[in-house]
Amino acid sequence: MVTAGKRNWLPISKPTRPTGKERQQTMIESLFFYVLSGVLVLSALMVISAQNPVHAVLFLILAFFNAAGLFVLLGAEFLAMILVIVYVGAVAVLFLFVVMMLDINFAELRRGMGRYLPLSGLVGTVMLVEFFWIFSKWTSDTAAVAPHMRHAPLEVSNTHALGQVLYTHYAYIFQLSGLILLVAMIGAITLTLRHRPNVRRQEVSRQVDRHPKDVLRVEKINSGEGVS
Amino acid sequence: MIPPVFVAPSLAVAFPLIFLAGMSLMLLLLGVARKTEDFKSVNNLAIFSLLAVAIVVARFSDERMEGLNGLFVSDPFAILMQIMVLVGAAVALSMTPRYVERERLMRIEYPILVMLSTLGMMVMITSNDLMTLYLGIELQSLPLYVLAAMQRDTVKSTEAGLKYFILGALSSGMLLYGCSLLYGYAGTTNYTALQLALTAEAGMAPGVVVGMVLLMIGIAFKLAAAPFHMWVPDVYEGAPTSVTAFFALVPKIAALALMIRLLSGPFENMVDQWRQVIIILSVLSMAVGAIAAIAQTNIKRLLAYSSIGHVGFALLGLAADNAEGARAVIVYAMFYMVMTAGAFAIVLMMKRKDRMVEQIADLAGLARSQPLVAAAMTIIMFSMAGIPPLAGFFSKLFVFQAIIDAQLYALAVFGVIASVVSAYYYLRVIKVMYFDDPADEALDRSNDPALTGVLTISVAVLLFFIILPTSVLTWAREAAAALAQ
Amino acid sequence: MLENIAFLQSDFFTGYIQPVLVITGYVLLLVVPLILAMAYLTYAERKVLAAMQLRQGPMMVGPFGLLQPLADGLKLLGKETIIPSGANRVIFVIAPMLTFMLALVAWAVIPVNAGWVLADINVGVLYLFAISSLGVYGILMAGWASNSRYAFLGGLRSAAQMVSYEVSIGLVLVCVLLTTGSLNLTDIVMAERDWWVDLLLFPMFIVFVISALAETNRAPFDLPEGESELVGGYNVEYSSMTFALFFLGEYMNMILMSGMTAVLFLGGWLPPFGIEALAVVPGVIWFILKVCFVLFVFLWARATLPRYRYDQLMRLGWKVFLPLTLIWVVIMAGVLVYAEALPNMAGG
Repeated sequence: MVTAGKRNWLPISKPTRPTGKERQQTMIESLFFYVLSGVLVLSALMVISAQNPVHAVLFLILAFFNAAGLFVLLGAEFLAMILVIVYVGAVAVLFLFVVMMLDINFAELRRGMGRYLPLSGLVGTVMLVEFFWIFSKWTSDTAAVAPHMRHAPLEVSNTHALGQVLYTHYAYIFQLSGLILLVAMIGAITLTLRHRPNVRRQEVSRQVDRHPKDVLRVEKINSGEGVS
Repeated sequence: MIPPVFVAPSLAVAFPLIFLAGMSLMLLLLGVARKTEDFKSVNNLAIFSLLAVAIVVARFSDERMEGLNGLFVSDPFAILMQIMVLVGAAVALSMTPRYVERERLMRIEYPILVMLSTLGMMVMITSNDLMTLYLGIELQSLPLYVLAAMQRDTVKSTEAGLKYFILGALSSGMLLYGCSLLYGYAGTTNYTALQLALTAEAGMAPGVVVGMVLLMIGIAFKLAAAPFHMWVPDVYEGAPTSVTAFFALVPKIAALALMIRLLSGPFENMVDQWRQVIIILSVLSMAVGAIAAIAQTNIKRLLAYSSIGHVGFALLGLAADNAEGARAVIVYAMFYMVMTAGAFAIVLMMKRKDRMVEQIADLAGLARSQPLVAAAMTIIMFSMAGIPPLAGFFSKLFVFQAIIDAQLYALAVFGVIASVVSAYYYLRVIKVMYFDDPADEALDRSNDPALTGVLTISVAVLLFFIILPTSVLTWAREAAAALAQ
Repeated sequence: MLENIAFLQSDFFTGYIQPVLVITGYVLLLVVPLILAMAYLTYAERKVLAAMQLRQGPMMVGPFGLLQPLADGLKLLGKETIIPSGANRVIFVIAPMLTFMLALVAWAVIPVNAGWVLADINVGVLYLFAISSLGVYGILMAGWASNSRYAFLGGLRSAAQMVSYEVSIGLVLVCVLLTTGSLNLTDIVMAERDWWVDLLLFPMFIVFVISALAETNRAPFDLPEGESELVGGYNVEYSSMTFALFFLGEYMNMILMSGMTAVLFLGGWLPPFGIEALAVVPGVIWFILKVCFVLFVFLWARATLPRYRYDQLMRLGWKVFLPLTLIWVVIMAGVLVYAEALPNMAGG
């Protein structure tokens, strides 16, 4: 939202040839762009082709990282950090967790692959050709786009800019997202929670409620007599 | 320099939505506090709040209002569709208590998920922005996945939930891809602005066309139009029957409303491009609905294929691209709901020795054991087949009128043929009820007043529409007229 | 000679080589003291524990045992690196490196004095939060790659624990951000708060320190390593340098967490309690003293508290800290709005 529409989809062709320091910056920037996106594409490829599911998840994490790096290049540092925190720090951890604990026989899962490969390959190729076609003929209705593009105000950081619109202009959407998350929570609980009556749980309130006088009896025991 | 100040929108326009959201949260708290034995009161409160919201929506002004910074729109079309969705959800909920009691599904989350899903549909119907559209669809479908898998100890229900979820996720992906392509072209997600940007010449840009088609495919998934219908029979069969009733009654209406809204709004000037898509969807759906249903032995699967066919007919009206077409679609959706409600009331009544049965063969001999129910089923099946003078006939008639006006004769002929073929399996149900010998004991008599009530109203509407057609048609016409503005 | 000078003035040198050299210099300036601090933290830990248990601690190597950390390091270096035959070699070796690297990388944004910071970025707090949330991967990978039950259980425990406490740390950070209005760590240190806002933040300070203990797997939350049940947890199979990296990573994380506490709650390099007279002492000294104080609390807790049981630990995280911090965010936001004490209301 913040910087998207301003760029070409490949950052190589800049309109004017920059000089001196500017050129160096563009060079470093495009160097980073190619490194990040190259690793991104490669690791995305590894995600689907890795033999070991744990390796696949680790490559997915690498892919997230590189995507975050691309965000930084675009000047969207807030999105980059959120991507790392949410996807790498939370989602992928749980993912890795599950994959590590599941005992999946991947060879078994892949057996059908040879059968479906021609068809899926065909669909994939058709899609690829289509999207090449789309982007090769890509035009944007600049006259219509201009009035709608809301660039981030330059004088504030993009965290501020996002905050300003998120809780005001897009309050409705923000609340709707909240409701969707609530539904996800209700759903997860509905589908998995089982009340097992014979599980012993720790109830702190009961523990705290126990008084010595209810459960303890202090007796003076004379020698040779014992307790009755 | 002071940065631009954004103001929070006035929330008054979204009052029904906020009210429904608030009620579902309240009921959730209530349910958590009182535990599950209180299913009935939560269910009743849910029905009450759905109907209350329907009344609030009905009293909304007839003018077109945009609100919430252009993310929301309310017009007679939205009002009518919201009322249909709300009443449909209330009807579906009113049919549940006995069923879930028998199946031990008495969980307060059930009515709450239905409410939240209905809220999502209202968001879809009132959306005026691609972002609201997407969030509405997600809010609508997420509870549906959970509801389908609600009977978590049976394999079928879990499978239904999982299948629905995976295909739903796929369709969301397509929808989002479509949205992003459109946004990339027009630089806006607002419908009104999109309408200005997507002129006829924009239709030449491949990105825009692909974006639009992907968006339509995403909605077609939710609409269960062929060839995106693969999940429907399995989900209908696997989900608990009361949930299936909800699936059949409501979400399609919302998806249909969304499709109408998009085609008459942002894509208004790209008729030539989207008409082909709609025609393909419509023809395939009618064909699948007519042919695949013939081989079914399970009544829920039969109704699933029948609903695919009905979606095909409804889309036919959209292909006409005129005011009559929109009106015909609205009328079709209304009677579809009425017929489906009645049909599912009967499916929910089908039990033998207090166990649910769902084979068509189980209906054998119903004419002798319960002649009234059999007669009601007959009327519903006749109406679905489109036999005059029942309401189902008129809904088909309006659609055919609209496409003949649009001079799509081949399409009309195809529709009639599909309609005749599908009559075969509707009539087969009637034949089983009246002429087949029961293999087992007769079905139990239903003792659920809610089901009887729904069935009675449904049959009454189907029978007597011919006497009082004007008010329904006026609503539909006003709603359709609002779209054209 | 002339060519050399020309080279020094070339674009390539001023544009690339020089900045790289300067940055490397800064990094070394930060990293070398940190590694020293880490080494002496292990020494301090043994000394503090000993003092609390009325022992003497290391005394043999050097005066007062001061050379003990060096001796330990040399010993570890001299050992053989063993990679178990069933282990996943690549991940097994990457895991300790990752742990150690992440612990160092986070320091890039911590300001140790006014302007003494490697990268003064806009979203410093988020960066720290992101990096600290990555720490779990090293442990999880180590546990899995070792192909050993003890290590795996330790890894899983630790991952679950860190993820749980991260949630409350996140909400605590939100509370702090509410009072500062910036995600930049220098701004956070410099933020002027009223005394009552500080008072409001105090419970969050406590929650943060406790969560930091859990996040770094320190006592009383050191279940992942729980030697009595797991023989040492995720790092059972590690030896020599690979083990040393884990060990160093853990201590580095402790220092990092103390640094974060100092920056977020204790006013970083500023003299304590806003006493101007104390400003004669350089800021970096104050910063180090504050970090030392928090580190002492870490050690103190280890010497005093028994280890939590696993379900108790999870209960504390999810059922106590999460609701508490969540409610506190709401309360703080409400109070700040009511008192019109929100910083940057105009959005500047």
